[in-house]
Amino acid sequence: MAEYFGSKVEDIFNTMPARFLPQGVAGVDVVIGYDISGEGGGRWTVTIRDATLAVAAVAELPKCSVVLISDPETFVGSALGKIDAAEAFGAGKIKFTGDITAVLNVLPKAFSPFKPVVRAGAIIESMPERFKPEKAEGVNLKIGYDLSGADGGAWTMLIKDGTCTLKNGLDSDCTVTMRMAADVFVGLNTGKIDPAAAFGGGQVKIEGDIMAAGTTAKLFGKFEAAGAQEKKGEELISLKCIPTINQRFATGTHMGKWFAGLKDKRIVGTRCPQCHRVLVPPSEVCAICRVRTDDFVEVGPKATVCLIDTVYYASPDPLSGQVRHTPYAGAYMVFDGGTPYESFAMEINPKDMDRIKPGMKVRPVWNTERSGTFTDLLYFEIDD
Amino acid sequence: MKKVAICAVAQHKIEPDIWYKRFQGMLLEILEDIQSQTGFTFDEENGVHDIVTCSDDVFDARTISDNGMTDVVGAHYRGEEKMAQDGLNALGYAMSMILSGHDDVVYVAGHSKESQGESRNMATNLAYDPFYARCLGFDYLNAAGLQARAYMAKSKITDRQLAQVVVRARKWASRNPNANAREQLSLGDVMYSPMLCAPIRTRHAYPVSDGAVGLLLASEKRAHEFTDNPVWITGFGCCMDRYFLGDRDLASNFALKQASGRAYKMAGIKDPKKTVDVVELMDCYAYQQPMWLEGLGLADDGQGGAFIDASGPASYNVNLSGGHLAGTPLIIGGLYRAVEAVLQLKCKAGEHQAADAECALVQSTTGGAGQFHTVLVLEH
Amino acid sequence: MAKKQASHAHKKNRNVGIVGIGQTEYSSHKEYQNQAEMINEGIRAALADAGLKLSDIDCVVHGNMELFEMVHQPDMWHELGTGAFGKPQFRITTGGTTGATLVCAADNLVASGMYDVVMVIGFEKLQEGHTTGGITNMADPLWFRHLQTGALTATTATRMISEFGEERAKKASMRYRIMMDKHACLNPRAHRRFGLEYDQMEDLMNTSPMLVGELRLIHMCSQSDGCCVMILASEERAKQITNKPVWIRDHITVHREENINIFGLKIPETTHHCAARKLYARNAITDPITYFNVFEMYDPSSWWGLDWLREFFLLKGDEHITMLENGDWDMDGRVPLNPSGGVISTNPIGATAMLRPAEVALQIRGDAGQHQLRHEVRHGLASGFGGTFWTVLMMLEKELGW
Repeated sequence: MAEYFGSKVEDIFNTMPARFLPQGVAGVDVVIGYDISGEGGGRWTVTIRDATLAVAAVAELPKCSVVLISDPETFVGSALGKIDAAEAFGAGKIKFTGDITAVLNVLPKAFSPFKPVVRAGAIIESMPERFKPEKAEGVNLKIGYDLSGADGGAWTMLIKDGTCTLKNGLDSDCTVTMRMAADVFVGLNTGKIDPAAAFGGGQVKIEGDIMAAGTTAKLFGKFEAAGAQEKKGEELISLKCIPTINQRFATGTHMGKWFAGLKDKRIVGTRCPQCHRVLVPPSEVCAICRVRTDDFVEVGPKATVCLIDTVYYASPDPLSGQVRHTPYAGAYMVFDGGTPYESFAMEINPKDMDRIKPGMKVRPVWNTERSGTFTDLLYFEIDD
Repeated sequence: MKKVAICAVAQHKIEPDIWYKRFQGMLLEILEDIQSQTGFTFDEENGVHDIVTCSDDVFDARTISDNGMTDVVGAHYRGEEKMAQDGLNALGYAMSMILSGHDDVVYVAGHSKESQGESRNMATNLAYDPFYARCLGFDYLNAAGLQARAYMAKSKITDRQLAQVVVRARKWASRNPNANAREQLSLGDVMYSPMLCAPIRTRHAYPVSDGAVGLLLASEKRAHEFTDNPVWITGFGCCMDRYFLGDRDLASNFALKQASGRAYKMAGIKDPKKTVDVVELMDCYAYQQPMWLEGLGLADDGQGGAFIDASGPASYNVNLSGGHLAGTPLIIGGLYRAVEAVLQLKCKAGEHQAADAECALVQSTTGGAGQFHTVLVLEH
Repeated sequence: MAKKQASHAHKKNRNVGIVGIGQTEYSSHKEYQNQAEMINEGIRAALADAGLKLSDIDCVVHGNMELFEMVHQPDMWHELGTGAFGKPQFRITTGGTTGATLVCAADNLVASGMYDVVMVIGFEKLQEGHTTGGITNMADPLWFRHLQTGALTATTATRMISEFGEERAKKASMRYRIMMDKHACLNPRAHRRFGLEYDQMEDLMNTSPMLVGELRLIHMCSQSDGCCVMILASEERAKQITNKPVWIRDHITVHREENINIFGLKIPETTHHCAARKLYARNAITDPITYFNVFEMYDPSSWWGLDWLREFFLLKGDEHITMLENGDWDMDGRVPLNPSGGVISTNPIGATAMLRPAEVALQIRGDAGQHQLRHEVRHGLASGFGGTFWTVLMMLEKELGW
């Protein structure tokens, strides 16, 4: 089966249950479809709901919140960090249909990182390389490995005259034969399973010369998973610190009147005594004329829409880390009583997002609770 | 060498908490003040084309902290550049804009509110490298504490002499309507004030301050359009010392000596002791007054204590404004010092005026324990 | 040669030449260096390029956007790597335009006669901070900060689609994007090099994820780490230091008010257009398309880049798009645009705007390597962008006596 960077596409999905972090997905209800086409690819659905996970390989993808489309090499490579996911994304090698924020916001918190699956065969096949001839003086052994289950197999290893050779299949005249499930073998060799427990608990069966079995360990160097060696050299100690210095910002006279106006459901601006432009929100000075603007005027409350921005990717709020629900729309508008160059930006009522067009009239929607702050003005909606 | 003139200056009264105005409101008053003094405009042909601002993004908690000031410094469809070091350096830079021929007239405006953030020390702690010094908890206060120790030992400064510096600063501040801390203090008030960061006592440290300043600079050729009483920048120098406190001889005044040497050379001053009439220096903490005076060559090396006893600061008209010690916001400290020095030379310093001021020395620091110094020589 | 008209450019006190250029590689994985080390790599490269030592440098100019890495007055710490010990130093920061502003500042400092040889450092290490947070923090803390989301808006795309039709506009901005990537692929220092082909145009136009409206992921610039250092010298020193100094002829900075009042019923002149017409007028350039041999533009997205071509060259109607469709902005075109790959491929914010004159200077010197233009480059144009739609525009020349 096709491997990429030493792993298979299905490994990523098969390991998801073990890598799942339920505490990271509170409130998440999403079905992510994966469409990986190429050798070793396939289709999978990953459903996260009520902090539980369901992963299924499917022939056809059902309706999903979002579908990730890629090729096996890019998919595996980016999961392993061998390929820069952001670059692959930018170059169109990973594509999405549907709500992309479901993926960007959910996946990093839902699973611990994928690490290459270690297979029994890889461990056995690396034994000749790891063999230490200097420890094998006078040793003459034939060891059989009979590993059952998925990724299992049978091998025979001959240690003689300071050499170590390996072949497929189980010879009948082995000095000692080790029988166990393949994943137990992997666990023992990666330090994840305690040998005493495995032997004592009957998970490992040894036939033949038990003492000979005991001596084999020192004949081989420790198994290192592919990439583990590099990781040691690259280990980064990363300290994350969020410096926070609380601030008390002054509104000043003019923004003070702006917020006071919002509390009273009034949109307040200042008119320049020279060029008569109306600045919303109000400012102490007209930038064009460079003169003081203390002439407060009320504008609107209705406005004419000039431009609309529909936001699909919401950057996290730098203070709270929260992400707005997307998509949402913002509009640039000119108030009734305003002046043509001076536009005001505000969000549009989500229910109007699909209908809103330049030229339309909009009106403000006020928060029922107002205290002279940013949240007093909720958004604008179509005035019809 | 061609000279650059400071035609007019304006300062916002320095207060501990200007909660009732935002920066834009403060700077508008500054602009109006300078315009009423000089009649300068931003006219496309012969007005100001380029502006130099000075503010601190960390203290303002605002990226590109000049972007909120564009409107009020006249920079709409004009050029503007933000000096991100102490503002005295902005004057050196503005001077280069004029001497280069790129500009004839430059408007310089700075703002800062130390009261906006909950702690100045938390802000200056961020000036230290994130792996070592920052984790140790360094900030500009405790760096100054270390330097104060070293300097007081070298120049035999006593606690009493520091108190004299503070008492004198308050005395002069009370005559300066723009000064922040004007409460009169006795020697005992200072000497028995609690330790803030030993050997720096609470009364040795400059109080939290908010302010804004503006200056109009012009080429020699055009200065007369804006004032008949120009003050000339005849010398400028600045110098960087090492970052790690352990790499520095904290009491050596290395950077200040280099900076003042460069400024004197440009001004053609061979003996500052004979030439300098008035000094405005940036004494954030009391020990810095005698220390910077040594670095400026007005007090002899290692003789800071004796200098104070001999009333050296009075004889050189040091900090008749009250100085930084009476309270000035950090990033524009040097600009306030320059403004006060200009007022002295123009004979507009009111009740804190020195007699016969012809040559003023202005000094400021950036960084912890005076890592970087800037010196300006102004002449009438 | 066209007859020169009277120039109203300011009389420069003395000429200033670029004598050294150093760059680090640009990537998002510079974990192996701290900020001071990264800067040091840049200055060593610049000094080597100029054949100078630190002792030859009279003054250092330093800049970045400090709130990105959250280091207060970083020039103090960076003394470890900048070599500024014992020297005069200036730090000027203006947001996105910083890199270009630093070169203008150094030009002023050298032209003034105050310093003869000035080293200019622009850098950013975005991975050590929170870039979007940093940009959002430029907005007024009590109002606009709640609305702003980094630097993303599709208003230009919307306007261009309305003016030129959806298909033509989208094709043009994608063609622009792919052209920039092709240039980036010739620049070993560029951060992102995708290997895009023109036959991917339709696909990318429609499948690259939408960030805001028709501003798609593929159109947007990267966030890169890196450092660019340039060394400027007076005419006399420049001629001693190198046999190919690149002269800074003139520069202009144009800012706009704090409120972004450019999306209303009427649209004011852009700072790009204002900077261009003032700079050309005072230098008696009546035909910028013919005059300039290369333009390195600060293009944060392919929509903006395309739109601003019309502004910078004072074009009208769809001239800029027709020129794109005709290949006039290609490397062998009438006015080669961003042979380096531009900002979309490489964006170490504090350095980005410095890379523009740096790359122009490399072109004029003939040292741009694989992305060197084949024809002689005598007259270069470089732009910087940032803040509330500010522009810095600079003219560079191969020979004196303009």
